[in-house]
Amino acid sequence: MTLLQAHSLRFSYGVQPILNSVSLSLAAGEVVALLGPNGSGKSTLIKLLLGHLRGEGAIEWEGKDLNRWSKRDLARRVAYLPQSPMFETDQTVEEALRLGRAPYWGAFGLESERDVSVVRQISVLLGLDSLLQRQMDELSGGQRQRAFIGRCLAQEPIAMLLDEPNTFLDLRHQVELCRLLQKLATDKSIGVLMASHDLNLAGAFADRILLLHEGNLVADGKPGEVLQADLLTRVYGVPMERIERPMGLPLVVPIA
Amino acid sequence: MIVCLVSLLFWAGVALVCVFVGHHAWGWPRESFIRGERLTTIAVASLVGAALAAAGVTYQAVLRNPLAEPYLLGVSGGASLMAYLAAVSAGGLASWLEPLGQQSAAFIGAIAALAVVMLLSNRRGRLEPVTLLLVGVIVSAICGAVYLLIYHLNLRREVTFGTGGPFRFLVGAINTNLTHQQIATAAGIIAAGWGVLLFYAGQLNVALLSEAEAEALGVRIHRLRWIVLIVASLITAAAVAVSGPIGFVGLVCPHVARLIVGSDTRRLLPVASAFGAALLAMADAVSRSASTLTYGPLPVGVLTGLLGGPFFLFLLWHRTARSARALSSS
Repeated sequence: MTLLQAHSLRFSYGVQPILNSVSLSLAAGEVVALLGPNGSGKSTLIKLLLGHLRGEGAIEWEGKDLNRWSKRDLARRVAYLPQSPMFETDQTVEEALRLGRAPYWGAFGLESERDVSVVRQISVLLGLDSLLQRQMDELSGGQRQRAFIGRCLAQEPIAMLLDEPNTFLDLRHQVELCRLLQKLATDKSIGVLMASHDLNLAGAFADRILLLHEGNLVADGKPGEVLQADLLTRVYGVPMERIERPMGLPLVVPIA
Repeated sequence: MIVCLVSLLFWAGVALVCVFVGHHAWGWPRESFIRGERLTTIAVASLVGAALAAAGVTYQAVLRNPLAEPYLLGVSGGASLMAYLAAVSAGGLASWLEPLGQQSAAFIGAIAALAVVMLLSNRRGRLEPVTLLLVGVIVSAICGAVYLLIYHLNLRREVTFGTGGPFRFLVGAINTNLTHQQIATAAGIIAAGWGVLLFYAGQLNVALLSEAEAEALGVRIHRLRWIVLIVASLITAAAVAVSGPIGFVGLVCPHVARLIVGSDTRRLLPVASAFGAALLAMADAVSRSASTLTYGPLPVGVLTGLLGGPFFLFLLWHRTARSARALSSS
């Protein structure tokens, strides 16, 4: 089932074009990695899809034009995790998770039974139940990122847009995060769109890769098709080599 | 709900104690005249305290700045200057219109000061916390200077002030000679504004996040900011119009409340308001009982300044120390 359809998106800051006619789609249960160098328009694209920026082109979530979604309704369907999410230093993990229920709160911010039970389920699912009373600034980077994923999940979304969620994580936590996203896609059939700089991690975990170069979508396909040495050399501006492996996917690495 | 009730009980307890504190003697006032006067004063002090604390909670949340409060942002200063101007130029107005005129003048002053402060501290759409406070304090100082200038220009003319002395809008004090209309107008505005703020309390929690995150959680953050900033300034203006600018209540109370109930605005708003009400009622009682030492009653603004100023410095120092630690550890 297609969750998102976007056609010929254009965006520019003043006269500086950021995106030129980008079209993409996202289906339920699919993990899509959004790759491209710094300044290629990854973050801008995600913000356009959420309606935080207004550009040209058509965006449809579940077949309904983005402009016809109310902020609140869209927040119940689509969750967003920015590159460096904000948190109050004295905020507990539980409070952070509960914020994810904001699109469901009634007047005066009153919480329902369901709000409470959803937060409890998610904390168990992500193994956060023992950390609920800890303060956010006491957590390790990996734990904190899991709490933020939990906040997104509390929105009970059908799609998650994540902007470089791996940035501050060590190798093990990067792999764990990707496994978690893959599991969420499979088990809850959430569509995941994730901007990333790690080509091989994206290759290992994504069902599909979108490659942006100077505001143009230069590739959209299976990891094996997109991660080509000549294409990546052109896009990233460094010589790249593709190393085939007897088992598993090929690796792409820059040659110094 | 429970939080609201407990806060209410706390305030009621403190208020009851305050009734026993008089100008000269302690104990339950026997004469109904004195009892009435004391009850009115306590009610006004509580009202003003609650309003300032609620405004403080709101400013801190929506400006994402733990040091924001109506007095330091210049909102109180602007409101008191305009209220003073209204009081000076009043006299021609019908008596029932006077409190309304004073309230709206205070409101205009509050909004104007806030607008100036936000404009001047705006750097490419971002509000720098420290710049914001600097500009606020300076706007406050300018308002105070203009106030004194007008006062001295009017010295020769026979200006009668409806209530309170000429300085009542410079150093905040709970006046005992307010008209019932004045109190009723202020109470009405503050109660309504407080209700609106509580209505948006949940969304204010989300406003503590970045703009993009708040939007992604379904909160129309720009609209929210406008609404609550205007409402908070409105209740500040209503409070200032009856009491003059009383500093630091809006700073101290939210922080003390935060230590107890955490940063959830839905709980913070009622608790901080109760603290504000109790603190100001108490401070007013203390200044009343201290009036035997001073010539005439001590303005309560003097006390809150003595209490709140050092507290502000402590917060500033604590914050700098913490960010320095964070820098050195990362």
